[in-house]
Amino acid sequence: MKTLGGFAGKILYVDLTQKTIKTGALDPDMAKKFVGGLGLTIKLAYDRIKPGTDPLSPDNPVVIGAGPLVGTDIPSSSRVYAVTKFPASGTIGWCGAGGVTFGCMFKNAGYDHLIIEGQSDKPVYLKIIDHKVELCDAGELWGKGILDTCETLKMSDGRQGGVISIGQAGENRVTFSMAYVDGIATLGRGGFGAVLGAKKLKAIFVKGSQGIDVADQERYESLKNELLQTIQGYRYLKEWQSLGMLKSFPAVPVETYEKIKKRRIACVSCPLGCKDVVEIKDGRFKGLVARSSSAINLFTPLAYGFTDYREAVKLIATLDEYGLDMFEFFGVMNFAAALFKNGVIPEKENIPEIAMDSLESMEIWAGKIAGREGIGRILADGFAGMLDTYKKDAEDYAPALVKGMHPYTGPDSALPWDLFGTMELGQIMDFRGPHVGSGGSPTYFAKRPLDVFPRHLKRMGVPDPAIARILPDPGAPEDEQNLKIGSLLKYSHRWFSILGSLGICARAQVNRFYNAELCAALYEAVTGIGTDIDQLRLRADRVWTLYKMANVREGVGRNAESIPERWVRHPGFKNYVSEKPVTREEIEQMITDYYMEQGWDTATGIPKAETLKKLGLEDH
Amino acid sequence: MSRYQILVFPENCTGCMRCMLSCSRQYFKIFNPAISRICVQLSGIDCAITFTDECNHCGICADGCFFGALSKQVEEKTK
Repeated sequence: MKTLGGFAGKILYVDLTQKTIKTGALDPDMAKKFVGGLGLTIKLAYDRIKPGTDPLSPDNPVVIGAGPLVGTDIPSSSRVYAVTKFPASGTIGWCGAGGVTFGCMFKNAGYDHLIIEGQSDKPVYLKIIDHKVELCDAGELWGKGILDTCETLKMSDGRQGGVISIGQAGENRVTFSMAYVDGIATLGRGGFGAVLGAKKLKAIFVKGSQGIDVADQERYESLKNELLQTIQGYRYLKEWQSLGMLKSFPAVPVETYEKIKKRRIACVSCPLGCKDVVEIKDGRFKGLVARSSSAINLFTPLAYGFTDYREAVKLIATLDEYGLDMFEFFGVMNFAAALFKNGVIPEKENIPEIAMDSLESMEIWAGKIAGREGIGRILADGFAGMLDTYKKDAEDYAPALVKGMHPYTGPDSALPWDLFGTMELGQIMDFRGPHVGSGGSPTYFAKRPLDVFPRHLKRMGVPDPAIARILPDPGAPEDEQNLKIGSLLKYSHRWFSILGSLGICARAQVNRFYNAELCAALYEAVTGIGTDIDQLRLRADRVWTLYKMANVREGVGRNAESIPERWVRHPGFKNYVSEKPVTREEIEQMITDYYMEQGWDTATGIPKAETLKKLGLEDH
Repeated sequence: MSRYQILVFPENCTGCMRCMLSCSRQYFKIFNPAISRICVQLSGIDCAITFTDECNHCGICADGCFFGALSKQVEEKTK
């Protein structure tokens, strides 16, 4: 029986070892305490992950969830989150994706969360059609790529359903393999694909017809209309709808993109649509159709020396089909090339010779890694596996690493952003390791004038005293003005927790339409749970601190928040305001500021007893 | 209630399903794509937008479309 609006009201439990499936009611008190979506997913995972669990063992559970707004027509509310222990970082982390249709279908099937435990003895996929849930033989799907699997399942039962699937890289437990939602949205940098592969779970197919209700129809309509007015009045809306992420990051000329653009793709209820289907129109790949969570991803190889955008698209399509994380793939290939060059790995294994600007070379190596062929079996274990194999001989050639993974931005990384804002600090402060995620902070965009910060921070729900702590002292000399990036990151994480727990997309281009008060009002109207902005802020802090506690149990404290030497060596990161080189001491101070703002011990990084008490987490 | 001719431009559809959510809420007071009177099936390049026999051409699906895949033209008025 439904007790709350927005929520579907049930949790689905699947034990792959025992091959049992059962459902349980969602506890309304727990839903209220942890908001929903990301927050509840973290809570359910915290309750199930035993400290010290091997990420690829049957004991590592996977919890998937979608927030209370998912399935409604509130714009851009379709996010799906998963929490598990990741093989690349060895930490407990969240991963999230634009839910495309999966989130909406999952909620419509009658579930808010899915908990997967154990390990199947043979490949299976999980088929969820409302209350009919079954584990099906995946023998025919095993060995297939992401799109192939998705297309096989998506229309397999009349009206289309949602699909989460892994490719060959996930099957073979590559530590930088991901899962994909509906074949287009990536889920789980850090090895989420490997976690599912270790469980021999090839895919999840879901379709539902239960419907999602809202508690207060009148207020819902009023809030939604207000929001729609804001969106429709956005002067760049049409441009965004036409160009997607290319509007913010012009990786190729607009004419090139327009030439290959075939269809913009949006997650359920999104007014922008950041995903793309493209078709190559000429050359040797004429007719190639590729999909991506953003067209700019398809052009990433251009940053590694590719000169033909068509070859870049072909390579990314190949990586996506295997289910490989492109950032980690390029990082690992660069590292391997250095090890070959310096004789750490015998040259006879360098077949074909690694050439970062060669499609042929990169595609063959992607296949070797995804299939764990030859030396690919070592590269498939990522930086940690390579360093473990080649030990001290390899260390000198390793790039900057954070929690054993390749940062996506910073010196020697794929993205050329060099100003040190919350997203950059967040690469070392999020327990899952580096990932692309802004949390909505204004520093997501470079060189944003400081006088626009107060408006953005207020929108994120940052209280006035904290804004005063974060922003420069107006009386300070110009060359001493500074932003407290560490303090700001706390509120960025809080804002992300709010959006993720409701189910709203955190992309800066989307969350700009939202503010914390609106989120509290929407949550209250949809669920019927009395919620003001202070209560929502408290619950969001509870979510992030519990996420921290899950990792404290794993021994992740300040000791794990290490700063790569390369970041502070010239040319390294620059201060966001002064643009002077950032020093190690500055970043250490940011980490201290972050802990202080969170109410965590500045020496150990562990939440203080009084903070746990304030958040109602004394028992955790 | 006004009735409209619903014009369909599948090439503009992004698969966001907002039309299906709007329709189901209008007629069944619940968000449920499975019972909506408009159906979007999108698979990569291909997109099909169809209507069930129950569709009464009210145009709420077109009102909800962000991307110009649906629009409405006045067809006739009923009391």
